[in-house]
Amino acid sequence: MKRAGVDHMILDSGKRGFKKGLVTLWKLTKIVVPVYFFVNLLKFSGALDTISAWFEPTMRLLGLPGEASLVLVLGNCINLYAGIGAIVSLSLTIKQITILAVMLSFSHSLFLESAVAKRTGVSLIMVVLVRLSLAILSGLVLNLVL
Amino acid sequence: MDFTLYIKESFTGSLNSVITMAKIIIPLMVVMEILKDSNVLGKLSKKLSPIAKFLKISNEAIFPLVIGLIFGLSYGAGVIIESAEEYNIGKKDLYTLMIFLIACHAVIEDTLLFVVVGANLWFLLTIRLVVAVIITRLASRVLNKLDFKDKIDTI
Repeated sequence: MKRAGVDHMILDSGKRGFKKGLVTLWKLTKIVVPVYFFVNLLKFSGALDTISAWFEPTMRLLGLPGEASLVLVLGNCINLYAGIGAIVSLSLTIKQITILAVMLSFSHSLFLESAVAKRTGVSLIMVVLVRLSLAILSGLVLNLVL
Repeated sequence: MDFTLYIKESFTGSLNSVITMAKIIIPLMVVMEILKDSNVLGKLSKKLSPIAKFLKISNEAIFPLVIGLIFGLSYGAGVIIESAEEYNIGKKDLYTLMIFLIACHAVIEDTLLFVVVGANLWFLLTIRLVVAVIITRLASRVLNKLDFKDKIDTI
């Protein structure tokens, strides 16, 4: 009897998980697809070259091409999915993707997540400062090490 | 600018990315939901007191830490707010815990998303965990010096 109850519970959790997976996927699609179209539009229209040239000197310190600045801006202002949407629409090397992945894992969705963190009672400035410094430091170090 | 090529390229490119991510996200959510309901994590966090000692946080702070580490900042913060009322987590513990969690949370989902686009799983996971542990230990040392012992009154 007990055994059957446990199986039933696992089945229920599994179903709920599947539904949550679909919901997350839909949320992700709503962001990744427009970002992909947007970045591709920048690429096709030539605007990406201008942006890249502008950020090239700064991004070189992190071992990244100028256009990767888009990934960092979208990931930090919107969320990881937007950053990933930008990564897949640009052609980057494995080293560059790794650097971006580490930087973005330390610092992403700054607006939303800082608000969540603040609700537990810690200082907002501390949260943002810790995250941005970790991201920048890890980028600088990884560029030298990798 | 070649408009049809643009539409075609954007459409197939973004669709492919969504399909690849679906293969990761749906199975992941199923496993996570089963984990969350089975109370494995509650039992697990009782066994993790050596880690609490290592990070210099109290045993009560371990459960929110494990939840945030695996499920993400929002879940972690939710549990923190709950357990702060229940167990009176001190301000020092709260800061130490949150510093760990803002550097390192939702490690399974976040890491896998980057693996899909080509990053190395173990490299990413190790860097994130090691850096989070280092800054947490540093923070806890600094906070101890400041004698940051007052409890949180209201959240």
